[in-house]
Amino acid sequence: MSLASLKRQGRELGTLGGLLALGLLLTALTPHFLTVSNLLNVMEQTSINAVIAVGMTFVILSGGIDLSVGSLVALSGVVMASALHAGAPIPVALLAGLLTGAFCGLVNGSLVTLGRLPPFIATLGMMSVARGAALLFTDGRPVSGFDASFRSLATGRVLLVPVPVLITLAVYAVAHLVLTRTRFGRYVYAIGGNEEASRLSGVPVRFHKTMVYALSGLVSGLAAAVLTARLNSAQPIAGMMYELDAIAATVIGGTSLLGGQGRVSGTLIGALIMGVLRNGLNLLGISSFLQQVVIGLVIVGAVLFDSLLKTGERR
Amino acid sequence: MRFRCRTAVGLAALLALGACQRGAPPATAKPRVALVLKTLNSPFFIDMQKGATAAAEKQGLDLVVQAAEREVDVDKQMQIIENLVQTGVKALLVTPSGSREVVPAIAKANAAGIPVVILDTKVDPAAAAEAGIKTVTFVGSDNLEGGRLAGQQMVQVTGGRAKVAVLEGIPGHETGDSRLKGFKEAIAKSPGIAIVASQPANWERDLGFNVFQNMLQAHPEIDAVFACNDMMALGAVEAIAVAGKLGRIKVIGFDAVDDARKAIASGAMVASVAQFPGEMGRVAVESAARILKNETVPDDQRVRIELVTAATLAPPAAGAARP
Repeated sequence: MSLASLKRQGRELGTLGGLLALGLLLTALTPHFLTVSNLLNVMEQTSINAVIAVGMTFVILSGGIDLSVGSLVALSGVVMASALHAGAPIPVALLAGLLTGAFCGLVNGSLVTLGRLPPFIATLGMMSVARGAALLFTDGRPVSGFDASFRSLATGRVLLVPVPVLITLAVYAVAHLVLTRTRFGRYVYAIGGNEEASRLSGVPVRFHKTMVYALSGLVSGLAAAVLTARLNSAQPIAGMMYELDAIAATVIGGTSLLGGQGRVSGTLIGALIMGVLRNGLNLLGISSFLQQVVIGLVIVGAVLFDSLLKTGERR
Repeated sequence: MRFRCRTAVGLAALLALGACQRGAPPATAKPRVALVLKTLNSPFFIDMQKGATAAAEKQGLDLVVQAAEREVDVDKQMQIIENLVQTGVKALLVTPSGSREVVPAIAKANAAGIPVVILDTKVDPAAAAEAGIKTVTFVGSDNLEGGRLAGQQMVQVTGGRAKVAVLEGIPGHETGDSRLKGFKEAIAKSPGIAIVASQPANWERDLGFNVFQNMLQAHPEIDAVFACNDMMALGAVEAIAVAGKLGRIKVIGFDAVDDARKAIASGAMVASVAQFPGEMGRVAVESAARILKNETVPDDQRVRIELVTAATLAPPAAGAARP
């Protein structure tokens, strides 16, 4: 095992250790934390952010950022919901929602690669366009009320485990394989590490970067399906600021905002840390205002220690 | 190394908080009741919290108050309710962020056998019936009646002739829809009153300003405004001031917040409909206390509302009998 991979493992174990320590602490502070029903509850609540954060991790690994994911959740959600209301079969409606997300992502990617726009600007534009489109499409009103088979995407249980948790695990398993075992995955790291060098060594940079944004849009569509089924309603104002939660989960999980470094398993743990924190603070009955302070401190703290450690390594 | 550092951050933050929290719970064996508000960053919900907290003290209940960061975040509200259900609270008091979206969360409380009291915003009856959820009681203002009061006042101050602009709340919110419905009912009898423009400004002051400014561009003849809450009404007042038409356009709002009362006193607004959120908080907590004693509570409890105008504002200043 190389030194670099040892370091990576260490980083990951550190994040996992943080999550476990948090769990131990909450177990000590409240009897309601360490119960099967609460743990499943936390994982179910985390699933939406976790799924969006997979796409965000790919984008950030490639050296970009995607601010549009929250709006894409809203747009994909209302497209899917309207399709269902129009009588489309569930697979067709799901596909319509997923494709909406993927298409918008593809536009993001094209603006970044072909249009040479900074990702911040391209996705900021999409954030507004998709939100506006969702509002226009629905006249600002939520689209709600679906039958039980669609809702089972969120309410279903397989051997006690909520379906959203299974979806999340499946998404992470696939994402992990893609990043570690495929050429696409290696190129994403390469582009994020040094785009110019990748281009010179023959990596089709534009194509792969575009696909990364499309992927981020696609998983946003998937998150929209779970959210819509969970609330039995698709709101055009849904998903506001979800992009920030996804970015937070990604960076807590150890992915560098500069690109080229990080793993999806870290992101999953990062999302769980945020979910467990919110859950624990609710269980303890801590003021909502203080909760925001704590979550902010954890985000900054996690990245601060990373950067301090890196400075330490360089000496 | 990394492990220790990361852990230290989390531990330090939480331990500090845990320590702060320690004082209250163990000392009391009081039944724990939770109040989930839409948000805690508006005076309306802060008043509601105050009313509820005072009532909880009197009733010997341990009240936990939680709210999402943003009023529109229905999923965050659902998470809070799910988490509170895990702690086995004895009763759950909720101001739904979405009339339909709150239904799955209430279903989870029902499944755990926790009685639910709804405040301020009604649960969509169709969605509730479909999911088969049960709530014990609704405590809130009669928004339809409030809208009627506003409409009657509009007829009175304009002498039955007006071109009205309407600023709506977030579409799909029961509260705004009911207010507007009541308002339209009340003005329907006066054919001289016409609504020439009606658009949502999402309850917000700055959006109220912009939307109304645009309406005034399209319809310079507008001489009256009905805003479904005071924040949007106050935004419209600013736009009217910019247009130099202050006093000539009659503005009626809803909620009678402090700024609106000042605007009414100065003549920038003609009226607002006062709700009593503190009362709602009190009645809801008292209902919870009665539920815990296995007493029955009425399934619909309306808190008083009243029209606030320059005329009604004068008496309390003169020391009239008002609590």
